[in-house]
Amino acid sequence: MYLQPEKFVLRAAIFLFLCLMPNRMHAQSAATPAERQTAAQQPTSAQPQSDSQPAPSSQQAPSPESPLPNAPSPAQAPASASQAPSLSDLGFTPQQTQGDPKLQAELNKRTEMLKIHQRLGLITLAPMAATLITGPMAKAKGKNGEPITEPSNANLDFHAALGGTTAALYFSTASFAIFAPKLPNTPKHGAIRFHEALAFVHGPGMILTPILGAMAYSQEQNGQKVHGAASLHGPVAVATVCAYGASIVAVSWPIHLKFWEKK
Amino acid sequence: MKRSFLFAFLLVFAAIFPAQYLDAQSDSQQSDSQWIFDQGTLSYHMSHPMHEVDATSHAARGKGVCHAGWCDFLIAVPVKTFDSGDTNRDLHMIEATKGAQFPLILVRAHFPQAETSQQWIHADLEVQFAGQTAHYAKIAFERTQQGSEVRITGTIPLTCSDFNIDRPSFLTVPIKNEIPVRVDMNWHTM
Repeated sequence: MYLQPEKFVLRAAIFLFLCLMPNRMHAQSAATPAERQTAAQQPTSAQPQSDSQPAPSSQQAPSPESPLPNAPSPAQAPASASQAPSLSDLGFTPQQTQGDPKLQAELNKRTEMLKIHQRLGLITLAPMAATLITGPMAKAKGKNGEPITEPSNANLDFHAALGGTTAALYFSTASFAIFAPKLPNTPKHGAIRFHEALAFVHGPGMILTPILGAMAYSQEQNGQKVHGAASLHGPVAVATVCAYGASIVAVSWPIHLKFWEKK
Repeated sequence: MKRSFLFAFLLVFAAIFPAQYLDAQSDSQQSDSQWIFDQGTLSYHMSHPMHEVDATSHAARGKGVCHAGWCDFLIAVPVKTFDSGDTNRDLHMIEATKGAQFPLILVRAHFPQAETSQQWIHADLEVQFAGQTAHYAKIAFERTQQGSEVRITGTIPLTCSDFNIDRPSFLTVPIKNEIPVRVDMNWHTM
């Protein structure tokens, strides 16, 4: 029954070799440092893969079994997956991790209203500029070429129509900003503060300008020279338009015009 | 006969010793460890023909566990903590990224433990953001030892389309799809 020594040695050597094979493979599983360094110098090839998730009411810690495209198989790191850190390890409060659909709805409504505010605001700029341009033209010349103080009906009507359109669009624009949902505990900073501060200039200006315009028209109709506060109709209109333009620039600031820059 | 036994013994010893030595060395190099996040910033960059915007958050938290030759890191940052210098823009960002409904950005990194001692770490990332999950393979992060702390820096190449984010627009022109996130974090091991 005893094996011959040579056969015993041979079988023992094979047995040991087979036993040691996995250990050697494990020890050699990682790339050599030189190989890894070479890989590190190469540019990264990121290939994102997006998975759609159903919208949960609260954000949960992801499953540790979440597959990664180039991640090792579970057999390679079974214990690692079970010991992976979870969201509860990071010390966030439930308020920080819980989703708030109501707040999201408020934000969505706010954004929608401010988008309309932005579009209407830009549209308003056109009749506003036209009104400013047609203002001085409201004083027409007489048949013999001599200037007349009272404006011609045609020019004045056009100017007044443009002013009315501007005012309607302006107050519509303002209403979308005023009635957009306000979010609590959000102190304002940045360009939006200048944008809002300038509203205290062009807002009263948009109220005063048509009133002063009506006063000026009334004085001229009565054969009077425009005087008093009514004479400020033009300057107030100019200041209003300047403040309005500055408000648009402020909310866009800092503007980075790249189209003339070389990449 | 005795000589052949002695030869066999030496052969077996020669076979066992290097394997055991390598295993012991490997175990000592890749012992279990925990990584604690000290401080750091995450910044995203947004491009528009009229604007170049960087928004930064200092409110990230993280933890890393290395075990059995692999490391798993989890980094989380509240969406609302990113500050671009303009409240209006930040609120719009929260709305566009569904930040109220999904208030945290979660980044899970998985990489070989052996890389924790090298200059470059190549991590497979799983990013949960805006209710979507995207995977990024082999993202390079530079590791710098600063005393007892380890500084990890790198850029995650996020895009709006990876997370089904409708790109915000200004003057009807949408922002670029790419919103790379710059990571700069300090860690220490336990």
